[in-house]
Amino acid sequence: MSSLRGKVAIVGIGEVPTGRFPERAAIYHAIESARLAIKDAGISKDDIDFVMPTAALFSPQFNTELVTCRIIEEMGLKNARTNCQVFAGGSSGSCFLKLGGSLIQSGLAKYVLCVHADRLGSGVSLQGGIDLFSTAGISAEWEVPFGQHYSTIAALTTTRYQYETGCTDEHMAAVCVSNRKWAELNPNAIFRKPLTIEEVMASKMLSTPLRAKHSNMLFDGGSAFILTSAERARDITDKPVYLLGEGSRVTHFVFSQEPDITRFGWADAGRQAFEEAGLTPKDMDLAEIYDSYPIYQIIAMEELGFCERGKAGELHLKGETWPGGPLPTTTNGGMLSQGHTGAGGGIAILVETARQLMGKAGQRQVQGARFAVETCTGGTYMDAQVAVLGTEIP
Amino acid sequence: MEIPKKPVPIVNDWARPFWDAAKEQRLVIQKCKDCEKHIFYPRIACPHCSSDNVEWVDASGKGTVYSYTVVESNSPSAFLKDIPYVVAVVRLEEGVQMLSNVVGCEPGEVRCDMPVEVTFEKLDDEFTLPKFKPATR
Repeated sequence: MSSLRGKVAIVGIGEVPTGRFPERAAIYHAIESARLAIKDAGISKDDIDFVMPTAALFSPQFNTELVTCRIIEEMGLKNARTNCQVFAGGSSGSCFLKLGGSLIQSGLAKYVLCVHADRLGSGVSLQGGIDLFSTAGISAEWEVPFGQHYSTIAALTTTRYQYETGCTDEHMAAVCVSNRKWAELNPNAIFRKPLTIEEVMASKMLSTPLRAKHSNMLFDGGSAFILTSAERARDITDKPVYLLGEGSRVTHFVFSQEPDITRFGWADAGRQAFEEAGLTPKDMDLAEIYDSYPIYQIIAMEELGFCERGKAGELHLKGETWPGGPLPTTTNGGMLSQGHTGAGGGIAILVETARQLMGKAGQRQVQGARFAVETCTGGTYMDAQVAVLGTEIP
Repeated sequence: MEIPKKPVPIVNDWARPFWDAAKEQRLVIQKCKDCEKHIFYPRIACPHCSSDNVEWVDASGKGTVYSYTVVESNSPSAFLKDIPYVVAVVRLEEGVQMLSNVVGCEPGEVRCDMPVEVTFEKLDDEFTLPKFKPATR
């Protein structure tokens, strides 16, 4: 069991709207998000001593700038001692928490700025995005030559999951509808128009049974948060968001090597995280689930123990996951509706978790939220990363 | 739009016997001489027991479709001409899984747990890819 339980906290969050901004350089998204997070934490920029950018995928040139301290110089962070990129694809947000938290717990850092920016919407064409994600994270020897890409991966999971559980296309569509209902209330989301099950099921078929509106889309965006120790957090804010539990499991590299493409490592990761927190799914006020495609939201919720296997689709269909429902789920609209920004999708959901627990979620605020579970996963769902966060230490 | 050439496998040198055999229309996989488990994809050492006492053996070429999808649109550029095509995870009788394409039937006829057998498709002068078709038995 890790020693981070109740020892570190998120004290500030920042985020810029997701969209296509061809006139805006990628560094803008990083700096603006970081400025908002520093302001939100009520600290000075010169309190930041460790900067942890994650990777940007749209441009190797820009990514190298993130690696070589551009953020520190642009922002004039006078007391920054280290800039170190932390990148684990979609699970980079969880790695921020674990690595940033460990640096704070060990005394190597006081305030860690975790930040993401990318320009996958305006910096890459639609076909360019498909082509990028037909090689990134996919085995060049064993899968790329067969036409594998992210739509086929999500489709392979969906096909087998539906075959084993009887879950329907309507259930898959219900996840998209549920996430959209939250995005309607999120000013930073790209898709805010109401969506119906019929519209999802009538959208263009990509790879059976996966349709266009089951698929995330790539956009520009950025987000950031600030980590510090629980003690310092209590000095500067009355709403620290404590890390209470963490669980994780890596199950594959090559997608077709995954022994169970309908489960992955979520059950194990969830058990670890809830055990460390001393809480159960029933204690959660929020389920902030990584949702690049609806099937992954369904699987994670079931494996974490929010319902029996095969029943998560029904939860979405009945509105239990919607605003006002008993199990608010993916309350920023997720990558399906807020938009996918590369490594940022998993950071946005973590920022949303903190936002809700801080009581700063505006129209979509879940009143009195105390405990939340948050998930991320990288690449082809190769690692299951679960965190339990809360406004108090039980 | 000009359609780019199909991507060829980027070969790890220890996997070369697999690709050489495929060119001769044979499907070979590794087997650990110590723990006797079959291994795919090819490894430097056994991923089950870490032994480097591994050998190449002929696979039966028979298996079942663990899962599949029919690509109908938005494929990678190099595959646009192939639409519709079937991507499948196949479970071989030897207990290993591999990604491939199901060919030799209508895409709409593919099902989970359907029995399949290996067939070979030449990609270029250097590479032949093992693919799968409905079993004839």
